[in-house]
Formats: sequence, structure tokens, C-alpha cells
Amino acid sequence: MKLKDQFRFIRQNMKKNKMRVFMTILASAMSVAFLIVLASVAFGLHDTVIKDTIESPEVTQIEVAGKDAGNGNAESLTNQNITEIEALEGVNAVTRAKQVKQETRYVTDGYEIYSQTFQSHFPSMKNAGIELKEGSFPETKDEVAVGYHFALNLMKDDVDPEEVEYGEDGQLLPEYRFTGDIIGQTFDLEFKRMEDGEEITETVPVTVTGVLEQPGREWYWDQNVYITDEKLAELEGITGTSKAMLTDPGEAEEDTGYDTATVYADDLEAVKSVMTSLEDQGYYVYSIVSEMGQINTLFNIAKAGLIFIGTIAILIASIGIFNTMTMAVTERAPDIGIMKAIGASPKVIKRIFLLESTYIGLIGAIIGIAVSYIISIGVNLALPMILETVFEEELPAGLQFSSIPFTLVLIAVVICLGVTMLSGLRPAKRATEIDVLKAMRREV
Amino acid sequence: MIEINQLSHQFVLGKKGQQSRLDVLKNISLHVAQGGIVSIVGRSGSGKSTLLNLISGFIRPTEGEIVILDEKVSEFTEEEFAEFRLKNMGFIFQSFQLIPSMTAYENIELPLILKGMSEQARKQMTLEMMKTVGLENFKDHYPSELSGGQQQRVSIARALVLEPPLILADEPTGSLDSETEADLLAFIKKLNKERGITFVIITHDDEVAKIGDRTIEIADGELVRNGVFA
Repeated sequence: MKLKDQFRFIRQNMKKNKMRVFMTILASAMSVAFLIVLASVAFGLHDTVIKDTIESPEVTQIEVAGKDAGNGNAESLTNQNITEIEALEGVNAVTRAKQVKQETRYVTDGYEIYSQTFQSHFPSMKNAGIELKEGSFPETKDEVAVGYHFALNLMKDDVDPEEVEYGEDGQLLPEYRFTGDIIGQTFDLEFKRMEDGEEITETVPVTVTGVLEQPGREWYWDQNVYITDEKLAELEGITGTSKAMLTDPGEAEEDTGYDTATVYADDLEAVKSVMTSLEDQGYYVYSIVSEMGQINTLFNIAKAGLIFIGTIAILIASIGIFNTMTMAVTERAPDIGIMKAIGASPKVIKRIFLLESTYIGLIGAIIGIAVSYIISIGVNLALPMILETVFEEELPAGLQFSSIPFTLVLIAVVICLGVTMLSGLRPAKRATEIDVLKAMRREV
Repeated sequence: MIEINQLSHQFVLGKKGQQSRLDVLKNISLHVAQGGIVSIVGRSGSGKSTLLNLISGFIRPTEGEIVILDEKVSEFTEEEFAEFRLKNMGFIFQSFQLIPSMTAYENIELPLILKGMSEQARKQMTLEMMKTVGLENFKDHYPSELSGGQQQRVSIARALVLEPPLILADEPTGSLDSETEADLLAFIKKLNKERGITFVIITHDDEVAKIGDRTIEIADGELVRNGVFA
């Protein structure tokens, strides 16, 4: 019996009880739609997180916290280490900084701010593609760059810090802070040195030449000041300690290593190989890409869990298919008996019923997929609007609540067809076991 | 054509654990030659229908063997018997056994579909067969829209459409009036003569049995007459 004729038979049979078949298809469609829509949330949010991560400038950055000193302790990076790292394939630049080991105060024309001071290597920052919001990178000893929030927190020195007011954006209100042009502004950099156990305040001049861009992470507050290595040398000369540490000269151990170092890989593909090379050489590294692996694992577990829950829905729908097929076999028993009597083989009978249950599942799956796409599009359009209205907060751009990739459709179809075929197996077997004589006597 | 050797059959009666066995056929041996019409007669419950069902493969014998067209069909699997039936046997039943949701045309076409024939060949053969049985104007009629005689003709057309060498008929005139019965018997005779088809007809009606070249009588599961109708 040809497949085409088997399908003709199936369609004829399905027409015999349209309402029952319709309700069974509806149940299958709903269960498939439930599975897809449920899992699509995990797929959508995963896509958003991955996209967000990949598109972020930090994706090519590898933070190097130090190098294994051999005894389980980490030691800070030296210039030699930096040269080694720069020589690695796939490395674009290595930015590094040494932190001034005391609190520093910057004062200018009635304004003041307490900031952390870092000695930065500006040529490597340029190579890394770090751009300034305004101005240029420092080139001479007294020139400095400041963080994005530096000017925003440069407070009038005659204001009580406990009485200042902040706007909705968390920034100081303009009447309490510096509002002029920060570029070209000269400050007194105040720091201390120890002499015979007493703190003595020292001042050196600095001029702002550039302001860094706002940090990629919104929560990160950058009001640091970035000085040249000549300037750090000047501070060290005055304090007599490395990194201008606030101790008596000669008391502290010499510390010339870099406190932070960030490797900028050529591209996303190079990050992994550079990380592997660094780890092989004993460096302690961290990259957002390594976090992506964990993110992927987490989302994959979530996807599998949601697909599993969706599968339960399909299993419930399969009870309907089982019931429909069992009823169909019972109702058609006389016809099956006649067909067997005139020469239909049990194999053909079984195939017809299996095909019928699969056909019901397939139609249900197709309708379910179509409905899922409609729901997914609707959710992606409506939910942001609803959430923005309810919480009065703008959602991150590109946020996708639901995404239906082809793999999800394929998984749903395979599960649906598998389950419907299984649910049709028993009724199909029963059809083959129908006794010809009993069936023809309408005794089945 | 058909060779039956020491065929016995028992029915198992009663519930599990309290079962008893009833001998329906006892040690039957007979031979049916090709191209003949054999009538099997006997009272109700004599075992004649059981004999036909055993030859058809609808039930399996308890003992003995059945050979049809040199094939030991009593040893066939269900799959093998289905294929053999489709190829070599046609069936005419007392209650016609037509599929009610199919038209006359579709009922006749069914064996051709099961055989996997092309749509074009099916159409040609089905229409030809409808013409043979005089039902060319009832193509789209459902069984419920046909008279008993017409339904039996559809049943005959379905049995003949694949041109099997053997037709087994179980009380073929049982549901027909005497006029239609006479027409049907004449038609069977004609098919036998013109096409050389072997007919095995089960009947309890002596008049019907007369169309046979040979009559076999079964009583209480035993062969009591095996010869020319007297």
C-alpha cells in the first residue's frame, strides 16, 4: 500500500469524527505552544545577556591580578612581566597602573575632592582604544587625566558635606559642585609624608588635560586621577617611599609592581587563547568571557528545565491522542476486520494508525509553532511597554523576553512527534490484533 | 487447488481455569480441483463455516494441514497469509462486509490500493469491474444507498477485481430474495465458466448447493458426503 494512499485513508478516517480530532489537535497545539513559549523566555534572556556581553567593550579585556610566586602567593606584575605579556600573540595592548598608597586631595579655586590617584601608562591606554570623553591624554609630568565622575563630585570647599543635596540621577546638584570647564584646570595635589613619626602635608601642582569616558558598568564610580610615571616618581621622591606610601622612609618594603593590569586582546576569538597562554605562565587572570561559560551553563540548565516542564504538557496532551486513537480503533474495528479479511497485512494496519497519531501530532505541532511565534512577537512588543508603564523605569535597550530559535522548534517537533507516536503505538498494536471474524460480526 | 489433510479443529470454551474443548471439525480430508464449483452444505453448527474460515486463514487449525496452490498455508504467519489472501483469494460474505463510509467504487478499489497499484490502473480496473457486475451507474453510491443485490454485486466485484484464482463464498445468497439469488447464482456460474475461477460456496440451502459441480456435506464436524449432488 502506497504512502499516498495511507494518507488518504488517514484523512478519510479523521473526517469521521471531526470534533474529537479537532480537540486532540488543539490539545497538542497548546502543549507544543506551551513548551516553546516557556523555553523561549530562557532562550530570549540568554540571547540578550550574551549579546550584551559580546557587545560590551569589556569582552576583549583580561584582568591580570598577579603572578603565581611559586609558593601559592601572588606577586604583582613587573615591567618584565608586562613585556612578556605584550609579546603574546593576540595581545593588542596591556594597560597597567600603580596606586598611590594614601588618600590624596585635589584643591582648586574654592573646590576640593578626595580621590584615589593612579599612575597610568597612557600610551598603552591609547593602543587599547580607550577614548577620552574630552581633552587629551597627559604627556608631561604635571598633566593628569581624571575619571568621568571627578568633576561631578568636585565640591565647594565651604559646604558642609552633610548638607549637600543630590539630584534624581544621584549627582550633586550644580549649586554645590564645580560647573566650569575642567580641562586646563590646575589643582594642588595634596598628600602627606612621614618624618620622624609626624605627618607633613605636601602639595604639587597638576593640570587636567583629559576626562575619561563613563565606565561601561553603570554602577562603577570613577572619580580617580590618573598621573604620569614621572609624577609618581616626584611623589615617591618627596615621601621617600615607594608608591608614596605613608610610612617613614626606609620602614616599608620596596613595592614597584603594578597593582592592576588589563590585557586587551585583538578580538573576541583571541581572548581564549591569550587567557590560556597567561594561565600556562602562572598569571592569575579573569575575563568576562570566562563568565560567559558559566552564564551559558546556567541558561542551558534553565532551558533544559523549561523544556522538561513543556514536555510534561505534551505528555498530558498525548493522553488525549491515546484516547482518540483507542476510540478510533474501537469504532473502526469492523472496517479493520474487513480490510484484514481482503488481504491488508497487520503491518499496514499498524502503520496507518501510527501515521494517524503522528499526523495529529504534526498538525498540532505546526499550529503550536505558529501560535508560539505570534505569542513571542506579542510578548516582545507588549511586555516592555507594560513593565515600563508599571515600574516607570526604562528597560535596557535590546532586551528580548522571548526568542524562538530553529533548534527550539526542532526540539519541540521531535518531542511532540516522539510522544504522539508512542501514544499511538498501543492503539495501533491493538488494531493489528483485531480478530477478523469477531470484527465482521461487530463483536469488537 | 485446495488439499486438506486430516484437519481437526477445537474451540476452547468457558472462562480461564474452567475451560472445556469442543470438537468442531474432526479429521477432515478433501481435495478441491481447480476450475470447479464446490458447495459445502450442512446444518447450522455443523462446522461448514469453520472449515471455510480455516481455508481463509481467519482461524488456525488445531491439527492437520491445508495446502492451497501448492503452498502449505496452515503454516503461514499472519503477514504471509494476508499477502496470500490478497493475491489468491476473493471473499463473498452473507452480510456483504462493505465499508459503509466508502462508496461502491472505493470498496471495489480497496484490494487494488492494498496491492499498491497506481491510481490510473486502479481506476481502469475498478470501472471495468463495475461494468462487469452491472453497477457502472452506482459509482458514487454508499452501501446504505444500494439494495441487497447491488451490495452483493459490489462485494463480488471487490472479490474479483484482482482476478484471484479462488473465491470463497459464505452463504452468498443468505440475505437476498429468490429472484436476486437466481441472478447471482447465474453470475457465479458465468464467471466460473468464462474465467475459470474456482468457487467454494458454503450454504445450508440445497437449491444454492446445486450450482456446484460437487457437494460436500458436513455433519457434527465430520465429512458425511463428498461427491456429486444427488
